[in-house]
Amino acid sequence: MKSFRRVALGLTPPVAIVLLWWYVTYTGKVPPMILPSLPAVGNAFKNNVLSGQLLADLGISLTRVVKGYLVAASLGVVVGTLIGVSRRFDELLSPTLHAIRSIPMMAWLPLIILWCGIGEESKIVIIVISAFFPVMINTIGGITDTPQQYLEVARLGKMGAFRTFWKVYLPSAVPQIFVGLRLGLSISWIALVASELLAANSGIGFRISDSRIKIRPEGIFMGIIVIGIIGVILDKGLTTIAKRATRWNSGGKE
Amino acid sequence: MSEKRLRIEGLSKSFTVGKKVIDALDNINLEIERGEFVTIVGKSGCGKSTLLKIISGLLPYESGKVAYDGHEIREPGPDRGMVFQEHRLLPWLKIRDNIGFNLFSLPKREREELVGSHMKKVGIDGFADAYPNQLSGGMAQRAAIARGLAGNPEILLLDEPFGALDALTRIQMQKEVLRIWQSEGTTMILVTHDIDEAIFLGQRIIVMSERPGKVLDIINAKNLAYKNRADADFARVKKKVYKYFFEEEMPDLEYTL
Repeated sequence: MKSFRRVALGLTPPVAIVLLWWYVTYTGKVPPMILPSLPAVGNAFKNNVLSGQLLADLGISLTRVVKGYLVAASLGVVVGTLIGVSRRFDELLSPTLHAIRSIPMMAWLPLIILWCGIGEESKIVIIVISAFFPVMINTIGGITDTPQQYLEVARLGKMGAFRTFWKVYLPSAVPQIFVGLRLGLSISWIALVASELLAANSGIGFRISDSRIKIRPEGIFMGIIVIGIIGVILDKGLTTIAKRATRWNSGGKE
Repeated sequence: MSEKRLRIEGLSKSFTVGKKVIDALDNINLEIERGEFVTIVGKSGCGKSTLLKIISGLLPYESGKVAYDGHEIREPGPDRGMVFQEHRLLPWLKIRDNIGFNLFSLPKREREELVGSHMKKVGIDGFADAYPNQLSGGMAQRAAIARGLAGNPEILLLDEPFGALDALTRIQMQKEVLRIWQSEGTTMILVTHDIDEAIFLGQRIIVMSERPGKVLDIINAKNLAYKNRADADFARVKKKVYKYFFEEEMPDLEYTL
């Protein structure tokens, strides 16, 4: 009953938005060039699914996200861990990385396009630069926040550095590493769509900007909705994995 | 051949906090025999935990000498186990893995046997596959004691191990520790600020001053029938310890009884 109420509450805003949308388009209060009607968006969706265009676009976009995200996530975890456990790495890398981090993504774009063009490489580079930092920062935080009390217990048993890392530092950091991984994933998706909007000839972001050029507002809306839904699905997937990995955190209950 | 013993000679320890130097321990001299149950009682911040940490090898010291069985203590070792005020069980490990946490050098079967027997000893068999946050405070502390004992140390260091437990659980745990000590013969060094606890458990009670911690008195309670808290001898020792911490006299129990 409780979960029913939660779902019902969570669905209230989207239902309200749809009703309002339906009302203003049906009554003609807003011209269809600005806000297309729901059936028009539905039709665009249907046509894009039937023609295979949507699947092809999503396939291209998701492949880019997966490639870029995997590189960013593994780099972020490895570099974050090194900085977290080793003062020397921290002193060597942190100043440079924090300087790079403060450069906005948009400032990188011209350079990336100059170097990598508007093909696959540039998309992946953009994702890697965007998603790397949240993963790294949270990994550093998780590792350095490992409670001293637990490390003392490991020291009492004369546990070596390597085993201490696997048995204490890493599990202690896992919840926060997942916070970084989640942030990184949503940022990957955002960065990808942004880069496809600006410079691309394929992918879901490109489809939106193409719809604008071809004056098909229903295509823009369809694209936005699909992006939103995919974003939620990706995040839910990662949250499920995170819950599995930190089962001990929730009282061992599934 | 002399018995193994812990010897502390002229031990002093100070910390630097910012630019200030804080003296924690001042010229501690102690000798603790194998198999003894010694309690150290003092106000919070008197350096008693610092002393225990030095014995455990977790904390370095600069002046004085701390040696067990003739070997100077400079780092932790399997001859010493430790139990803290917080149970410090690693939340991501099942109870069995927590208890066997420091037995990683042993083959699996041997480790499991040790874990099993120690779980039985402290009365938590049946919780092997639970996670620490599923256990009550008393149960978690039992698991922590099992972990401290699992490697069969010769000395068990207990740093206010029952400080976070409710009064009833605390008394029960004191009895359990006494029972384990009697059956295992492990040397026990227990730090507490609870005078009752110190007298109930200790064969010798070491009274420490406020910072910097000095040994004020060592009270021999070995031959007293002190294990009964209602006993007059218990009250007499209690009165003696009390005097070190409070100016005002305790009501004279010998007359009121």
